[in-house]
Amino acid sequence: MYVLIAGGEPVGLQLAKFLIAQHHQVRLIENRQQVLAHLHQKLPTEVIIEGFVTELDLLEKAGVRQADVLVACTPSDTENLALCYLAHELYNVPRTIGRINDPSHAWLFDQKYHVNVALNEATILAHLIEEEMSMGDMMTLLKLRRGNFSVVEARIPEGTEPVGVAIKNLVLPDQCIIAAIIRRGEMVVPRGNTVLEASDEVLAVTDAEGAQQLSELFSV
Amino acid sequence: MNVIVVGCGRLGSTLAVQLSMSGHQVTVVDGSAASFINLPADFHGRVIEGDMLTRDVLHRAEIEHADALAAVTNSDTLNAVVAHMAKVVYHIRNVVVRNYNPHWYRFQEAFGLDIVSTAGWGMHRFEDLLSDNPLHLIFTDDKSKTAIYQIIAPKKWQGHLLKELLPEDSSQNVTIARKSNILQFAEDLTLKSGDVIYLTISFEQVSALHKRLNLLQED
Repeated sequence: MYVLIAGGEPVGLQLAKFLIAQHHQVRLIENRQQVLAHLHQKLPTEVIIEGFVTELDLLEKAGVRQADVLVACTPSDTENLALCYLAHELYNVPRTIGRINDPSHAWLFDQKYHVNVALNEATILAHLIEEEMSMGDMMTLLKLRRGNFSVVEARIPEGTEPVGVAIKNLVLPDQCIIAAIIRRGEMVVPRGNTVLEASDEVLAVTDAEGAQQLSELFSV
Repeated sequence: MNVIVVGCGRLGSTLAVQLSMSGHQVTVVDGSAASFINLPADFHGRVIEGDMLTRDVLHRAEIEHADALAAVTNSDTLNAVVAHMAKVVYHIRNVVVRNYNPHWYRFQEAFGLDIVSTAGWGMHRFEDLLSDNPLHLIFTDDKSKTAIYQIIAPKKWQGHLLKELLPEDSSQNVTIARKSNILQFAEDLTLKSGDVIYLTISFEQVSALHKRLNLLQED
């Protein structure tokens, strides 16, 4: 895929590194001198394009016409909106992703400006923090689909309901599946008749509601 | 009309005062309260400090009841984004943006907006007035495809008939300023050095005007 990223700090750089590692073609546009100095230390020179992200000549030089995805992640919401709009309107970029810096601008990040996907950093982060606080001993290992699903790990304490119960008899939340059990440092593949023991570490894939219920099930 | 002016710098404040004096209900919005110092103390319109891209500020500015909006900040990107929202979300009839840096004209044009380029216009005026050419373009209107020219008669035109200068069918659209008098077209009107001729013509007549002007210049 050909991915054009506008804005290098802090999201653009991480994204570029990640995409390059996956052998995607990446171009990153940035104009702030300080950020550029940093980018040049971390990314191959041919990836970095110096200039204002709203300069059409520069976008064209960066290959916007060939881009499969445009990621507008500058620190300016105005620029991000304008970029998504123009990428679609002038250059038919099939997919645009816009970063929302100020949550009070979130209402603009949709078809009004041809934004296909809006990423509201503050809200996502707040959501994740809130979730972590309410989870007790459960740990989130991985977030999937913008945080809607996750892989969680929970240790089964002594004297709780699941101890001595086979997985098939365990009342699990609807949107939740146990993926693995770590028992005394070894992995046990979970089958229906696997009986849970105290101190087992359970890995599960679940949605947000399921994680909450799971956390309750495994607490004293 | 209810008019919202976004940006209260030199242009925004002047525009707001002008609109207000013409009897419009004016609301000025600026991100910085310090900008309102540009408005005179007797300004009658409303002023709102805030971010024009938030619903709260739009609501306070009563954008639902606005008939027109001018985005005249010194950020070309912000002007375009605000104007686009005014058109697409609030269906405001007349939306005009200021082009601050001519470098970003094409960018704003891509939004399909009505643009007034203050720097670009000023530059053309300078070029015009600095040149020896008696013909000065004062205004063009792309919608009606008309242009207004100012022509300052040089010495050698003295005694020529005004109608020698005019393209066909344009005699009704001419006014001559001679010292403190305003003259209208007459068949036998002869030109004097220093006459200032104002002529409104369609885009199609422009080349005819240039031809007649060249003939007079060659004499």
